[in-house]
Amino acid sequence: MNPCPIKIPFGPQHPALKEPENFLFEIEGERIVDVKPRIGYNHRGIEKAFECKTYIQNIYLAERICGICSDAHTTCYTQAIEELLGLEVPPRAKYIRVIIAELERIQSHALWIGLVAHEIGFDTLFMYVWRDRETVLDIFERISGNRIHYAMNTIGGVRRDISSAMVLEIKKSLNHMEERVKYYLDVVKSERTILKRAVDIGILEPKDAVNLGAVGPTLRASGVNHDVRVDDPYAAYDEIPFNVITHEDCDVLSRILVRCEEMHESIEIIHYALGYMPDGIIKTEIPMNFPEGETVSRVEAPRGELIHYLKSNGTRKPERYKVRSPTLGNIPALCRMLLGGFVADIPIVLAGIDPCFSCMDRMAFIDIKTDEKWVWTMQQLRRKFTNE
Amino acid sequence: MEKEKEIVKRLKSFLGENLVKVTIPRERRIFSYIRKEVLREAVNYLVNVLRFKHISTITGVDLGGEIEVIYHLAYEGSILLSLRFTVSKEKPNVPTITDIVSGAVLYEREVHDFLGVKFDGHPDLSPLMLPEEWPQGVYPLRKEHKLEELKEMTSKKVGEKML
Repeated sequence: MNPCPIKIPFGPQHPALKEPENFLFEIEGERIVDVKPRIGYNHRGIEKAFECKTYIQNIYLAERICGICSDAHTTCYTQAIEELLGLEVPPRAKYIRVIIAELERIQSHALWIGLVAHEIGFDTLFMYVWRDRETVLDIFERISGNRIHYAMNTIGGVRRDISSAMVLEIKKSLNHMEERVKYYLDVVKSERTILKRAVDIGILEPKDAVNLGAVGPTLRASGVNHDVRVDDPYAAYDEIPFNVITHEDCDVLSRILVRCEEMHESIEIIHYALGYMPDGIIKTEIPMNFPEGETVSRVEAPRGELIHYLKSNGTRKPERYKVRSPTLGNIPALCRMLLGGFVADIPIVLAGIDPCFSCMDRMAFIDIKTDEKWVWTMQQLRRKFTNE
Repeated sequence: MEKEKEIVKRLKSFLGENLVKVTIPRERRIFSYIRKEVLREAVNYLVNVLRFKHISTITGVDLGGEIEVIYHLAYEGSILLSLRFTVSKEKPNVPTITDIVSGAVLYEREVHDFLGVKFDGHPDLSPLMLPEEWPQGVYPLRKEHKLEELKEMTSKKVGEKML
């Protein structure tokens, strides 16, 4: 067979989702032989902006690094500052941080499962999951007044308390959510539409996962038992019993199962935290002076390990603030998963790491011999690859 | 803190006086300052002997005349060790570690983009985050570039070309 050298630029434009990215695929026949990532289309210079704003203003900036995991970023940011100041966060605030973080994990994983279902053409599941995700967003609205960007964290604690009336409502909503998660697990394990598209697709061996620096559910779906909540505990995670979910099959199905079971685990964590939440204040006073120093803060965001580095020069503004989000950590592993796979599996493997982007609507094909370019819509692609 | 102290002890005996300074600011955090020349040996030792298998990220910090490069490596996902040294702005060359830890490949490109550190031996240092039209030699996270200057640059130069 004479391999036809075709390069497919995948992305970067997508009007709906943030963090657009571009992947240049080199294919032989239907097989992917090379992948080159090109990111930064949504680079906003936030690290430079951090250096130009005060520590207080930066809380708002950190909240806006990401729309889906905004709480993970502010938790990481406030922890870095609290460590610099030597502040001890009140116990009740620590529990509230856990509750919010786990609610965020549920809504983020639910969003992702919906997207995955959509990518493989299983739109019924997509609509079911996104409808149920509203339950969690309603809880957020009840607690903070906002469905996203809940702005719960501040330096020294949290901004809003959870009243006993709210606790009852949250528990009721969680019970509903728990039923739904059980149902999704059943569907995922038995539905042919999913199994056909997810089993043995996008393999990432444990050795590669570690060496390429994969994080979060992507890493745990390759059987590696690492979770910042356990390995480097923060907030109240060292007081709450829970399991780290891993799966050994290293494929897309493992990634779906890990996230489904993590949703279940998150519900358990929230139930426990609501029950054992100590009484007391939710915020301590913060000193006016920020000393010189540096700290490294880590959080298990829904997509994996999130790390912030802070260097303070003793003024009201940071000298350097560095953010590394989980998606960047997973890109080298993603490239490894795609190698040797089929073009038809690109969307599901890409979506498999739960990136903060999706460039699936539009692909441009370039034939090197004739330099002819054309664009296929997602519908055409789906028709071609799924015989719809 | 026992584990942290043991790691520091083993690192000290391996690197000798090439380990300039080391501190344990708190549980599960180690800051170690090394000479640039021993970077590859140190990373190799940490990854393959002390089992710091995971690279969390690489940070670059502009210190004025010099740039500090910080490698954040994690032991069993838990203890985070920051391996750090400085390079001059005139000759910001650092050997790559991508052949030891493949996960460093994008982090090195990121530091190259924003602070102009050249990672010798890196397979591909083309722009990762910055646009292709970005002017050569302008590294936005260096302190000499003020925010206003960068704003003007992006809106005029890059904007025109892109249109």
